[in-house]
Amino acid sequence: MQEVDKKVDSKPEPPFAGVVYGEITYWVVLAGMLISLSGVIMILTTESNYIDSACLLNDLWAGKDPGEIWETCTGVHEEGHWYLNKLNTGDGIAMLGIALSCLAAVMGVWLSSFALLRSREMLFFVFSVITAIILTASSTGLINVGH
Amino acid sequence: MNTLDRSKISRGFIRKSALLIVLFALLIPAPAMAAETQGMMGLNPTTFFLLFLVISTLIGIIAVLAGVGGGVIFTPLMMGFTPIDGLVIRGTGLFVAMTGALVAARPFLKRGLANIRLLYFAAVPYALFAVIGALLAVYIKQTMGVTGEAYVRLALGILVILIAMLFIFAGNRIEYPEVKHVDGFTKRVGLAMAYWEESLGSVVQYQVTRAWLGMILFAGVGLVSGLFGLGAGWAMVPVLNLVMMAPLKVAAASSKVLIGIGDTAAIWPYIMQGTIFPLFAVPCMIGLILGTIIGAKIMLRVRAGFVRYLIIGIMFLSGARLIQQSLTMLGYL
Repeated sequence: MQEVDKKVDSKPEPPFAGVVYGEITYWVVLAGMLISLSGVIMILTTESNYIDSACLLNDLWAGKDPGEIWETCTGVHEEGHWYLNKLNTGDGIAMLGIALSCLAAVMGVWLSSFALLRSREMLFFVFSVITAIILTASSTGLINVGH
Repeated sequence: MNTLDRSKISRGFIRKSALLIVLFALLIPAPAMAAETQGMMGLNPTTFFLLFLVISTLIGIIAVLAGVGGGVIFTPLMMGFTPIDGLVIRGTGLFVAMTGALVAARPFLKRGLANIRLLYFAAVPYALFAVIGALLAVYIKQTMGVTGEAYVRLALGILVILIAMLFIFAGNRIEYPEVKHVDGFTKRVGLAMAYWEESLGSVVQYQVTRAWLGMILFAGVGLVSGLFGLGAGWAMVPVLNLVMMAPLKVAAASSKVLIGIGDTAAIWPYIMQGTIFPLFAVPCMIGLILGTIIGAKIMLRVRAGFVRYLIIGIMFLSGARLIQQSLTMLGYL
């Protein structure tokens, strides 16, 4: 059994770095979800789509791989941050929302690492910066497999 | 957060979610729906969206009732029982596991239940190997084609059956593990912390141990998570609770936060290769989050034991199906 300190009856303050990470990721993911939902509504209700929805569904259900689906439905195999050039389409907006959700932890870890620096937790500051670098390299495509 | 707070939040969220779905339905004009071109199996895109929204909500509900994350069921179930490409499903599986974990992390960090030192200590090997796993998944797809897909399905099938067996035989988790000896490395890193335990009305000051072993295991869990597109709570909680001896609540909270970080690292290679399609990923994400909230709400009224066996059954079935698919692809069946 771990030590249960009955003498200390005041709640310990949660680490600031953790609170920063939690708040940032929560709100950024929520914003990303709303944007992606708006994009999907646009896909379903308007004609301004980049990927032909019926073609996408047919190819998805036919078990085609992503490269083939892109080729058949748009004529190009899109990679990387393709949605940034297609923000006038439902697919582009929906993918922007997804990407924003996927960036939530990247932002959270960077800002949380500054909070660790401020509270002089140097070792954990180093760990958090290494983590932030891995996440940033992954999200910018610096770590990637060639085609 | 006490039960009352949680219940209030759940009620609020369910009301907001229901409102969002109603708004969504109203926003789709009937003529537009009727005019849509028919897609998969004669379904129009709206029906496809709603179908996967419902399926993912059900997966989320069952997962919560069984005490597991949705990602661990989503990927094997979709890979085993839909014809959708494995890489698309694994990327989407990672995405839904990641968003669920990121949304759930906030209260754990606000209460100080998730150990921030332990998080960043574990995040380095976990995130690094999750990226390597994801890169490996894309590399296998690009270079080995159908044979690579068959081996991935075979390995995932075996893994899913092993996880189901883990649920049956290794259910004994320890609420407050006794740490008899803290090794030198763990002492130097300094991972011990304290949290306020609501049920005891006091502060719990805890130690952890075997940080070096934890580090190796986090690397392994990250690799599996990135490669197969699974959430990793099923492995993370035992590593934190049974190997590093963190209290069960701390292990569960820290695991949830860690999954958000590791899956973020792993999701990007999938996005960069164009494997995430919003029309498939968005309903799955929303459905799984909604299901998790609804599941938490009805958890108090159902017998968890039955649901646990249901989920073990689903996992055995999915595992067997994946193995059968891989053997067929390799020409053995």
